[in-house]
Amino acid sequence: MNLKDCHNFSDFKKLAKKKLPSPIFHYIDGGADDEITLNRNTSSFNDVDLVPNVLRGVEDVDLSTTIFGKKIDLPFYCASTALQRLFHYDGERAVGKAAQKFNTMFGVSALSTVSVEEIASLIDTPKMFQFYFHKDRGLNDAVLERVKAAKFDVMALTVDTITGGNRERDLRTGFTSPPKLTLSSLFSFASKPMWGINYLTKGKFELPHLQDHVSEGTNIATSIGDYFSTMLDQSMNWKDAEKLCSQWGGHFALKGIMSVEDAKRAVDIGCSGIMVSNHGGRQLDGSRSPFDQLAAIVDAVGDKMDVICEGGIQRGTHILKALSIGAKACSGGRLYLYALAGAGQAGVERALSQYRAEIERDMKLMGCNKISDLNRNNLRYRKI
Amino acid sequence: MKLKDCHNFEDFRKLAKKKLPSPIFHYIDGGADDEVTLNRNTSSFNDYDLVPSVLNDVSNIDMSTTVLGEKIDFPLFPAATAMHRLYHHEGERASAKAAEKMGTIFGTSTMGTVSIEEIAKVNKGPKLFQLYIHKDRGLTDNLLERCKKAGFSSMCLTVDTVVAGNRERDRRTGFTTPPKLTLGSLLSFALHPGWTINNLIHEKFKLANIVHMTQKGTSIDKSVIDYINEQFDPAMNWKDAEYCVKKWNGPFALKGVMSVEDAKKAIDIGCTAIMISNHGGRQLDGSRAPFDQLAEIVDAVGDKIEVILDGGVRRGTHVLKALCIGAKACSFGKGYLFALAAGGQKGVEKILENMKTEINRDMKLMGCKNLGELNRSKLIHRK
Ligand SMILES: Cc1cc2nc3c(=O)[nH]c(=O)nc-3n(C[C@H](O)[C@H](O)[C@H](O)COP(=O)(O)O)c2cc1C
Ligand SMILES: Cc1cc2nc3c(=O)[nH]c(=O)nc-3n(C[C@H](O)[C@H](O)[C@H](O)COP(=O)(O)O)c2cc1C
Repeated sequence: MNLKDCHNFSDFKKLAKKKLPSPIFHYIDGGADDEITLNRNTSSFNDVDLVPNVLRGVEDVDLSTTIFGKKIDLPFYCASTALQRLFHYDGERAVGKAAQKFNTMFGVSALSTVSVEEIASLIDTPKMFQFYFHKDRGLNDAVLERVKAAKFDVMALTVDTITGGNRERDLRTGFTSPPKLTLSSLFSFASKPMWGINYLTKGKFELPHLQDHVSEGTNIATSIGDYFSTMLDQSMNWKDAEKLCSQWGGHFALKGIMSVEDAKRAVDIGCSGIMVSNHGGRQLDGSRSPFDQLAAIVDAVGDKMDVICEGGIQRGTHILKALSIGAKACSGGRLYLYALAGAGQAGVERALSQYRAEIERDMKLMGCNKISDLNRNNLRYRKI
Repeated sequence: MKLKDCHNFEDFRKLAKKKLPSPIFHYIDGGADDEVTLNRNTSSFNDYDLVPSVLNDVSNIDMSTTVLGEKIDFPLFPAATAMHRLYHHEGERASAKAAEKMGTIFGTSTMGTVSIEEIAKVNKGPKLFQLYIHKDRGLTDNLLERCKKAGFSSMCLTVDTVVAGNRERDRRTGFTTPPKLTLGSLLSFALHPGWTINNLIHEKFKLANIVHMTQKGTSIDKSVIDYINEQFDPAMNWKDAEYCVKKWNGPFALKGVMSVEDAKKAIDIGCTAIMISNHGGRQLDGSRAPFDQLAEIVDAVGDKIEVILDGGVRRGTHVLKALCIGAKACSFGKGYLFALAAGGQKGVEKILENMKTEINRDMKLMGCKNLGELNRSKLIHRK
């Protein structure tokens, strides 16, 4: 299987599976506990059907939208995800450049493996930094200042990882600390020699935003779950978020809001948007899917802030459905991560261009010329 | 497996699969994206149950109805579909003769492989022509005039295909242009020598209705996807549709209407009928199934325009359920196409006969003597 055989999400996933040592593939692919939420994130889209309008004259379609004060050419963007150089040696460089090519937002994780300074020097399109609130306040301040200096457009505080989710695949494959090299994981690393060679030869693996502050930053000999549980501040509360928001002084979002009550508080503390998200099903299994919860959130705060629907997106029509309910845009992780793992920047570009083509085709088939033409009239919930 | 072993949709499908090179089979069988809508089109019928009445003397059943100005013997007809000669060397001749023999309307596509004039020669019954509006508007006038002259009884304009759907099976099998002869597809053509020989020894494959108008019509070494995207006009709007209605000046349907708003507009521009359809799940995946949407449309416009349900019909009971909700008739595509591939004219006759028999039996079991007796009191939504 090659990049040119990849026509959809599951093709990219297959390619990634082929290329990656299995602990790494399963780190991306897996979710918490029984993965009920992970699966529901996608299947929830199928309980709602689109109702097209016809004969609208759709030769030109405008897919642009404005989020956090920035106009982007696509109604979705690359969600911030950790450790991208584990997936492909170019890591965030590849994803950032691909996002720039399509003029969409690029989300950079606190656990990124390329520095904010380098990313800022590589791309001049909209950038979002995803913040983790550490116990070490000195670290928090330093990161914030660096991101400010690098002129990122948006700061997003992730609020759904107060402790690590129970990712059982990682326990089994040995994606833990210290790397539990089971017989089968050893075999998997050995059977994907290209990954190993690239990993060893294309620059040292680092977590540039953390490494000056903590020994955990220097290598991945700590699991992500342990990182969340030991380094992040579990006492984080609304005051901290509010303080951070004003310290940042620009567009600020909370990532991982699910309740209407919290969405309203996000407005109160001065956020310009929220990501309705359950972290791609990787944290609290059995929690509601973003798409299922979207209407309630949009009804409560949709006129006061940008609501982003994040998680489970595998098709252009999924994005259209979320936009019809009132999301300002969508974002996703796996929708570009498998492509990154499969073929680096070229892979991410192919994935983004396929989503763009799908959205454009689907807009035409819906009889819509611009994103704001989509509304709830276009949707019907299946009776159950 | 033989034609006489085909008792239902699935049997015809199996036999077609056996007979056709796989790229062609999957072109018929496949849908857009993840085929969610394709599957829902049929499964939607199963969310509703029929409630029969008994002891009603059902010795004589009248299944006839009038659609698009024509009386037909039973409330189902073959939808217009492209390129029948790909599925069987006799192509539209076979399906047209079968429809006439079974006493129903025959629909033929702009993308047909037997010409309007020739179809009129072999089928004296009610005929519907399905129009696609090309960027070349001269072609529209030409087709309308030829159909009038050839005696077609009704016209339908397909409005759900301004751009081609994402049919991923076609990408994989190489049903594209130039024919991507993968090892798999080559092998498949070689393994179906009957189809391949027939295709070679009979007249050259062409899009017979448009061959004289466009270069593209002369061969199929253009994928349908590319053809649609290059030739069909995405600027098509209500004015264009109205123009066609006026010019045709006879029974006219819009095919692919799904919203109430559009259904009302169809009345305003003078249409006789709308076909509630998502093109058999081949266009916008994630779009609503015709049967799911039917009640809403019937409630809004059922007394002002004929509502035809198109898509997902596999069984007589599916037709009955649609009629209970208020559809005037149903049409189907894949069912008769598999039958055509399986057995030419005989195949299409057999599936129409099967469906007619099913509808007849089901009417009796429902205790209904004519289609007017089917109504919503006979249908319950399963909670
Ligand atoms: C491999 C992986 C790593 C992730 N890392 C982070 C992270 O560092 N910070 C964060 O806020 N979210 C992270 N996420 C969550 C994503 O930002 C996003 O919420 C999620 O991927 C959306 O679900 P989707 O993958 O179904 O699109 C990660 C997700 C994945 C799959
Ligand atoms: C192979 C194939 C070709 C088709 N070609 C056309 C066409 O040329 N014009 C059109 O309006 N619809 C076309 N359709 C759609 C059918 O008219 C009809 O809407 C659909 O098949 C109904 O769904 P069903 O197959 O589930 O019965 C085609 C369908 C199939 C399966």
